[in-house]
Amino acid sequence: MASIEVQGLTKRFGDVLAVDDLSFTAHEGTVTGFLGPNGAGKTTTLRIVLGLVRPSSGRALVNGRPYDELPDAMRVVGAVLESSGFHPARTARDHLRSIAMVDGIPVRRVDEVLETVGLAADARRRVGGYSMGMRQRLELARALLGDPEVLILDEPANGLDPQGIAWLRGFLRWYASLGRVVLISSHLLAEAAQTVDEVIVVNHGRMAGAGSLTELRARQGGSVRVRALDPDRLAGLLADAGFAVRRQGEEVVEATGTTAESVGRLMAEHGVVVLEMTTEGESLEELFFEMTAGRAPDGLVRAGPNGAAGAKAEVGTA
Amino acid sequence: MIRLVRAEVFKLRTVWSTWLMLGITALLVIFVTGLTASVSPDRRAVTSFPARGSAAWLDIVFSGMTVAVYLAIVLGAVMITGEHRHKTITPTFLAEPRRGRTVAAKLVVALGGGLVVAVVAGFVALGVGLVLVGVGVAPLGAVLTEYRHVWPGVAAACVLYGAYGVGLGALLKNQVVTIVVALVAIAIVEPIIGLVAPAAARWLPGSAAQALESLAANARSHAAFGGSGGVHLVVWWVGALLLVGYGVVLAALGSLTTLRADVT
Repeated sequence: MASIEVQGLTKRFGDVLAVDDLSFTAHEGTVTGFLGPNGAGKTTTLRIVLGLVRPSSGRALVNGRPYDELPDAMRVVGAVLESSGFHPARTARDHLRSIAMVDGIPVRRVDEVLETVGLAADARRRVGGYSMGMRQRLELARALLGDPEVLILDEPANGLDPQGIAWLRGFLRWYASLGRVVLISSHLLAEAAQTVDEVIVVNHGRMAGAGSLTELRARQGGSVRVRALDPDRLAGLLADAGFAVRRQGEEVVEATGTTAESVGRLMAEHGVVVLEMTTEGESLEELFFEMTAGRAPDGLVRAGPNGAAGAKAEVGTA
Repeated sequence: MIRLVRAEVFKLRTVWSTWLMLGITALLVIFVTGLTASVSPDRRAVTSFPARGSAAWLDIVFSGMTVAVYLAIVLGAVMITGEHRHKTITPTFLAEPRRGRTVAAKLVVALGGGLVVAVVAGFVALGVGLVLVGVGVAPLGAVLTEYRHVWPGVAAACVLYGAYGVGLGALLKNQVVTIVVALVAIAIVEPIIGLVAPAAARWLPGSAAQALESLAANARSHAAFGGSGGVHLVVWWVGALLLVGYGVVLAALGSLTTLRADVT
């Protein structure tokens, strides 16, 4: 079964602790978002998974093996990295051919992936004349050469126009639906939210939280404010239902950790007369800030005390 | 390994810089051999300079081909430092994470690249030789004989210097630094060591290459290259082994140190 498994990964660059005892698993059939602000250690982690950077301790496995022990690595893992480059004088097609040859991938496949990313018409142009978006597409084409079971993309939306982003989103959903592992990093949760099933949030190299997007959305609910004819009774009902309740003035009851729908159903069930109801939504982005500020919302797996050892999250459909 | 070698050959073929280097090789060889041939002995006022048209004189003219070794080094160096420069080292290592294998493939291809450089230099020098026959400076037989004496040594030096370039590039990574270090070492540092400590200088790459170039030729003619005439050269095959050794040791050091480093 295809998977990416990171176990107790730590990477120190001199005095800087870039990755701090990070553990997670990305499973097949899901798009996993690897999220965190810039400098959180996302790229370093991905580079360790890809054998480009050596961990100080811990390990990263793809399908149970370290990257450099994979036979024909490109046929197992495809990766799009920001720092990857091109020789400007080489054509896109030749660039891909030079790489495809290493794992014995036929030229036919090179033309196929160029078609997939929409570069077929420009395949014989020198990469030096490519726009940022075209280079990004060419990077994706390279990653797809080996028709890999595992796709890793570092900030894939960078450099793409809105159209390109929409296309990429659809592509990644489709790729995961084939039962493959897709891991994408992003510093924008709202952007990734439209693509991912699972999220792993890192901050300062440590796990800040992890879970499914559905869980996240459930937690993002924020609060529901209700002005009712009988606020005391309403407050009691909400409290009995397990929501955190706070009184605001004479008539208003505020319930957090729930949704307007749940509150509405509850009130209908008990015949409470509602005068006014508003929701104070917390955006995914706010939630993300909260998590990366060191506080993980309830219900999500979070780092241990002081982010120390034992930070471990299982993500995905096991 | 065969696939890696094929990929490296393909990479060389598909960038214009490779063809530019071959072009420069041709121009430099025309320039050096042509210049040597056109300078008359008396004007140089060197008493020991052989007579125009003599076998020894032809030897000196054809030694102009040795300029090709510089291009062979550059070709080898660019094969690896170019990957760092254009950041293609990332996809290269993603495709073959066992980095030593990639370096080994580059070493092999650089040997071939050096040979191609030597063939280009050889063709151009032969052309110059035929021109000399045409203008009646030397008979065809003598030109071909001396050519056959000089070219194999130059070719062997080019081949091995290609690998040396890869080795040095693997160690130093930076393209400009690698090329400057290689050229300065051969053109400036070695001649100085040759003057100060000739006994030690014979073991250095430049002298080793010269030993190769003197393979079958008149030793006198090789003062033209590098100016380390005072160095008593090693036997040609020792020179060859030395150059192979330098290439492999540098590449091994590069693989162990620089290439083990994090690619970011």
